[in-house]
Amino acid sequence: MELFLMTITTGVMVGGIYALVALGWVLIYKCSGVLNLAMGELTLIGAYVSLTFYQMGVPFLLALLLSLIIGFILGILTERIFLDRLIGQPVLTVIMVTVGLSFFFKGIVQLIWGTDTRVFDPPVFPLKPIIIGPLIVGQVYLWSFIAAIILLCVFVCFFKYTRWGLAMQATADDEMAALSLGVSARFVYAAAWAIAFMAAGVGGTLLGNINGLNISVGYLGLLVLPAVVLGGLNSVPGAILGGIIIGILQNLSGAYLDRYFPGGVKEVAPFVFMAIFLLFKPHGIWGWERIERV
Amino acid sequence: MSTSWLPCGTYHQNYAEDQSLWQTKFIKGKMILLFAILFIGIPLWADNYWMSILNTIGYTILGALGVQLLIGFCGQVTLGHAAFIAVGAYTSTLLILEVPWPQALMDFGIAYPVSIVIAAITAGVVSVIFGLPSARVKGFYLILTTMAAQFIIVDFIITQYVSQIGGRGQAFSIPPEAIKVGPFTIDSDTKVYFMMLIIVILSVTIVVNLLRSRVGRAWVAIRDNDISADVMGINVIKYKLLAFFVAGFIGGLAGAFWISNLAAISPEHFPWFWSLWLVGVILIGGVGSIHGTIFGSIFMVVVMELLQLGVMPLADIYPKLLMDFLFIKEAAFGLAICAFMIFEPNGLAYRWWQLKNYFNLWPFSY
Repeated sequence: MELFLMTITTGVMVGGIYALVALGWVLIYKCSGVLNLAMGELTLIGAYVSLTFYQMGVPFLLALLLSLIIGFILGILTERIFLDRLIGQPVLTVIMVTVGLSFFFKGIVQLIWGTDTRVFDPPVFPLKPIIIGPLIVGQVYLWSFIAAIILLCVFVCFFKYTRWGLAMQATADDEMAALSLGVSARFVYAAAWAIAFMAAGVGGTLLGNINGLNISVGYLGLLVLPAVVLGGLNSVPGAILGGIIIGILQNLSGAYLDRYFPGGVKEVAPFVFMAIFLLFKPHGIWGWERIERV
Repeated sequence: MSTSWLPCGTYHQNYAEDQSLWQTKFIKGKMILLFAILFIGIPLWADNYWMSILNTIGYTILGALGVQLLIGFCGQVTLGHAAFIAVGAYTSTLLILEVPWPQALMDFGIAYPVSIVIAAITAGVVSVIFGLPSARVKGFYLILTTMAAQFIIVDFIITQYVSQIGGRGQAFSIPPEAIKVGPFTIDSDTKVYFMMLIIVILSVTIVVNLLRSRVGRAWVAIRDNDISADVMGINVIKYKLLAFFVAGFIGGLAGAFWISNLAAISPEHFPWFWSLWLVGVILIGGVGSIHGTIFGSIFMVVVMELLQLGVMPLADIYPKLLMDFLFIKEAAFGLAICAFMIFEPNGLAYRWWQLKNYFNLWPFSY
């Protein structure tokens, strides 16, 4: 029972980070209809940038802020250079451009930072675990979770109460209507990419704090795909819920199934679950069910 | 895009002429010349380095052909094709290594061809299993399930379980004398080349003819609009699964063929990167065109080889480049895909088509 509770807690906390990255993904999809397969590499870039700043002696929060700024710039650049020309192209074209981008980013990241695992040194969060009742939780997980939740709240408030956020919501809802009301769609696309880069960067930094940073953090970033599929592609609450579910599932299967299927169950389980889930509920939990007409 | 105009003064007088693959004397001559070059010219002229490049091109064509069939002709986007190639390669290897073949079969070189056929069928069946979700989902969701196929088959089942069979460790080494087709032991690049040529020509012929038949027309109808196809009386699920089977079959063929070129196989030979690479190949070559598959394969392999030739001399100055070349290759591949998608979304096959029509209609191109 204790193992179960522990696994669930860890799962929820890691899931919070996935939820953050998934939020960025859903944002891009909702605003511009781009199905982004480069999310894993976006987490990598953000994580490496903040690590570099941190190693240079910049305090952690400041390093995070700097990586946010760089993520913002990179996001706008990416949108302007690559995605802007593809508005109105078939879905496969756009998807493959994001795949191409993911290769490009991955190659560049490996070229600059190498493939060795790097750790945040000195550790950002104290190593001593916190004991809450019967639960023992690593401080890294706890603080990461808190950071993820704070950022999620910030993003949600941004969408609800600021002018830019409302413009983005309007574009996601009905592009034509938004355009006729004077919202600049191109600005919204660029903003969506910038926010996705920022969210992914924070997510990557937090994930890098947990296990050290190497190219496999990009794989963790890929886990947002099952998360968004579970939640429904175009639902922000769905993405948050999906992220947390994927976190829990991943840890549960690591704790219980590993005995029966030794090896990498933990990495594959989300994808297996997603494939089965899709068979029964092809539109996710809160996704829109579109009626197709010829 | 697939129709090309005939030269002036060429008329068809019956359906057989209209449907024939090689319609004019010029095309017949051209194709015979091509076959002569492929079967006689290149083996006489090429050394081992060129042979190995050509073999890689052949392997890429075989892999990309299945992807082309699924994406270009049936509209089912797949990002996990390397998994089915891996299934083919591993089935064939295990059949050769583990099954106690009678000595006579080994001596006459029947074991390997039989294993190729079984491997192709197995890969086809596995492909159908992972194609089953296509009955319910499409578009992006299908992409994710095929991605799941890659992670489940290669990263999990093959790495963790299949590699344990026989206790050989992670990599299965293949004894060269076991790879025997008829009286020939496939142990040199030239022999691999001939085998590659025969398999590629066979499978391209099969696919081209399938596409001209009822099945191919059904696939194209599903690609263009699956609801209309359904309304027209096409059994959409059946034809989708058939497409998955044929694509998996060719993938398995590719994998089983490729083990003749490898001293040992391990899961690292079939990474997700390779799945995406194959999709990139058909996008660069041109979606929905067999020519595109071939052009894309040649283009990608040759460009990567040129890149290597260009980068390697610098390695004397910057020794780190040797290690980093893989990353440069990845980044270059990514940029190439982006550039092609943005500037030439129709691919190389479109240019080829334009060129052909220009000469066919010359001098009156209107």
